[in-house]
Amino acid sequence: MNGIQLYFRLIQISLLSRMQYRANFIVGLLGLIVWNVVNLGLIGVLLTQFTSLKDWTLWELVFLYCLWILGHSLYSLFFSHTSRMEDYLIEGTFDQFLLRPASPLIQVLGREFQYLEIADTLIGLAGISLAYVQLGLHWDGWRWGFFVIAVISGAVIVLALNLLIACTAFWTGRSRGAFMVVGQFCGLVQWYPIDIFGKAFRVIVTGLIPVAFMNYYPALMLLNKLDHAGSAWWLSYMSPVVALILVGIVSGVWRLALRKYTSSGS
Amino acid sequence: MKVFWAFARQSFHSMAIYRFDFWLRVSTILLLMYSVRWVWITLYTQRPGAFGVNLEQMVTYGVLSMAIENLFYSFGVQYYMSQQVRSGAIDVDLLKPLDFHFHMLARNTGQMLFRLFIMILPAMLCGYFFFGLQPPATLLAGFQFAFALLLGYLVGFHLEFLLGSIALVTLEIHSIDWAFNALLRFFSGQFVPLWLFPGVLGTLAALLPFRSLFAIPLSIYIGALSGDAIIPAISLQLFWLAALALISRWLWGRVQARIVSQGG
Repeated sequence: MNGIQLYFRLIQISLLSRMQYRANFIVGLLGLIVWNVVNLGLIGVLLTQFTSLKDWTLWELVFLYCLWILGHSLYSLFFSHTSRMEDYLIEGTFDQFLLRPASPLIQVLGREFQYLEIADTLIGLAGISLAYVQLGLHWDGWRWGFFVIAVISGAVIVLALNLLIACTAFWTGRSRGAFMVVGQFCGLVQWYPIDIFGKAFRVIVTGLIPVAFMNYYPALMLLNKLDHAGSAWWLSYMSPVVALILVGIVSGVWRLALRKYTSSGS
Repeated sequence: MKVFWAFARQSFHSMAIYRFDFWLRVSTILLLMYSVRWVWITLYTQRPGAFGVNLEQMVTYGVLSMAIENLFYSFGVQYYMSQQVRSGAIDVDLLKPLDFHFHMLARNTGQMLFRLFIMILPAMLCGYFFFGLQPPATLLAGFQFAFALLLGYLVGFHLEFLLGSIALVTLEIHSIDWAFNALLRFFSGQFVPLWLFPGVLGTLAALLPFRSLFAIPLSIYIGALSGDAIIPAISLQLFWLAALALISRWLWGRVQARIVSQGG
């Protein structure tokens, strides 16, 4: 059985075990929808008072939010349990992965399929469609292609970042704190165009934790706002490159982490 | 009180083991204070005067709301309860010679006290030095703020306890908690102050218990609520505290019976 086959087999198993709880599915979907609607509602309330946030109108902010969530939902559908690496390490689940005759990475990735996150995908698509109509956008084929690439790059960027943080648990024993920090950066980038913040913040979300490539930079191009970036307009096209670089870094760190691993068991 | 300190000490020990984790949490608070300051400054330069309060007050409101956040999300009673039931360890909790509701309050408060000294007060100091957090409007407002915050904390605890009890029946806590947190974010006034809410939303926010956590204490702190206007606000907090305490004790009694019958 090769890696990909194994991955899908593992996902199938986890889906079957999850499907036993039908009520949870419905409650879960509602929970996610309420969460997103409320977030957009907060932006809405703010903009009833202010009409725009530094040249970003309501629907442009909705676009920004939904572009982020679309990429993120692709990630969380398949990979969001990577954030639970520290539990695997502390509870010794990771030892099981190492004992089985298959790649530990595939086993971690295939452990669960978060079908609930489909709610996020739907909200993302709905929000982007609405924004597309409201803003009167007309993309040519090239832009549509770029949009798809931007979403996929977004998913890869979150995945790589999360795996990187998860790997810190191999050294520090815990990674939840690091997840919280990156989560906060993500939240801010998801909500607000980063040009309202100071330079330090923009440098961090561009260079250090490059979450701005999930929505802000591609959105500049897709919403015809390239003038916002000034001389750094080319960053707008860099999402796929950033994604690839991160994947390279992660695969190196993962190998180091495996070598470093010592079981938590006594 | 002894019980509270015992739990506070315990959480201090478990926190001290993971020091790196602690520093990351602190930096999250700083980051949030930083960002919220920028958001309000941006909006204020766009339309000065639209807040109904001046910029210093608005920035204070926002920065403080981030600093005190960990007072409310300190322990996660709902997660503890759900975890204990799933693993079956709730038996041990129920066997303890301590009323379960009080036990949870003690645990939660212990953690809260710990975080108050190690995170919230230092965060407020940082806010004062770096992010434009002003001292309370008056000395009296400072005391009233502390009192309202205590009530807000207790209301928040009971909401979480209630959520935990419900989650024992549905066995799924995460998504309910997301929805709850969403409502809390929206109606508590943590991110957008309630006086900016239009029409029906404003009325709804005024009636719901959520504003006890952020909007009421913060408005008192910056002096937007003062004098006699404080009385209805505090009364609302007291009303919700009493109502939620009664409901959560009643519901817990019913849920507990279910747990016992499930066991075996």
